[in-house]
Amino acid sequence: MTDVTLKINGETRSAAVPPETTLLKMLRENFNLTGAKLGCDVGDCGACTVIVDGMSVNSCLMLAAQLEGREVLTIEGLATPDRLHPIQKSFEDCASLQCGFCGPGVIMSSKALLDANPNPSVAEIRDALAGNLCRCTGYTKMIEAVQESAKAMRGRKSERVA
Amino acid sequence: MRAFEYFTATDSKHAVALLAEHAPARIIAGGTDLLADLKSSPSHAPKTVVDISRATDMRKIEVNARGLCIGALVTHSEIMASKLIKEMFPALVDAAHTIGAVQTRNLGTLGGNLVTAVPSVDSGPTLVALDAQVTIAGPAGKRSLPLAEFFVGPRRTALKQDELLVEIVIPTANLDKPAHFLKMGLRKGQALALVNVASSLWVDAKKNTCRDVRIVLGAVAPTVIRAKTAEKFLEGRVATPENCAEAGRLAVEDARPISDMRASAEYRKDLVAVLAKRTLEAACVQARAMKQKGARK
Repeated sequence: MTDVTLKINGETRSAAVPPETTLLKMLRENFNLTGAKLGCDVGDCGACTVIVDGMSVNSCLMLAAQLEGREVLTIEGLATPDRLHPIQKSFEDCASLQCGFCGPGVIMSSKALLDANPNPSVAEIRDALAGNLCRCTGYTKMIEAVQESAKAMRGRKSERVA
Repeated sequence: MRAFEYFTATDSKHAVALLAEHAPARIIAGGTDLLADLKSSPSHAPKTVVDISRATDMRKIEVNARGLCIGALVTHSEIMASKLIKEMFPALVDAAHTIGAVQTRNLGTLGGNLVTAVPSVDSGPTLVALDAQVTIAGPAGKRSLPLAEFFVGPRRTALKQDELLVEIVIPTANLDKPAHFLKMGLRKGQALALVNVASSLWVDAKKNTCRDVRIVLGAVAPTVIRAKTAEKFLEGRVATPENCAEAGRLAVEDARPISDMRASAEYRKDLVAVLAKRTLEAACVQARAMKQKGARK
């Protein structure tokens, strides 16, 4: 067993896991954070996307042991009990998801994009979401939602400044 | 995945010691190739995995007396974000951008991409076109060899079981050498290359002739290969679109593509001609732009 201590959604957590455990498996089975989904399990579908130290990654392609001392943000870390995150709100308003299985991954990829680039072009959004497969929607409404949330988040920032 | 023992290396020396102590071991860096492989082929299960992702001495991007040195652990995203690389070799940034998607580029490393050594390795052609050398660390110390000789077959490299690829070096003589990379896949995102091509050359300022021409093809042979017939043709010839097109046509003779589910051999040959021509033309454009920049100084 390997001991891992890391920060998940702002909280310090520890687990003892067999070395072959992936980050995804640890999140889902040790910490009951089932937002990140097991899809292809080889890094093609993006359903398992989480943010590690500010970067979007496939949690199915990292060993849990590699996360020692690092910081993970999952979809569960976005909303508060009474308020959705602006990206989640836009995805709901734009009806961007149907079955929803890809949603947590798509939203985490969008979050990583908007944190680095608050005003992305459509081409930049497409590039940022190229690692997230959705078989329901055709992506158009997701791109609209990312544009809407970018607007909302920029507005919120300037309000704070004022 | 099957169970394995796991050790973390603090630097490249430690990694080499761990590899010797726990042989035969597999190395994990970004994990994008290794974990996908261990999941889809359980028979590849290693007894031991050595994690080098924290070996900080293998993360540098720097120019020193040997040239541009890129640590094997530098990720594709880090290459895309590097001002130094973007200024010297925009082709390396373009190549990094065609690999996987954001999530895999954030994890996947340059060294890992080269060590996996698939025939379509997107990092390969540009680096071979720039005469890159690889530095390998083993129990007996370090050795260096041309990247072109590092690739020995599909998914096979010159690395021995107890050795570690630590850095990639583009020699001083080639710093700022005009180069261009193009890849054709079935779609833009997450596609394997049907063909990828990189070319590099110097253009003589007065005579407008090509020198040190490199035309390198991926996904059309068991390894990344140089199109030597085409290189020889263009060497010393005037940098014109016609000569670039002829070199492209000749490059087809050096390609030995196979037909598979993604494309036929015939289509791949057509792609070689077009992509080689376009990369050569783009490298010539870069060379002219450099000349003007030089003239203004």
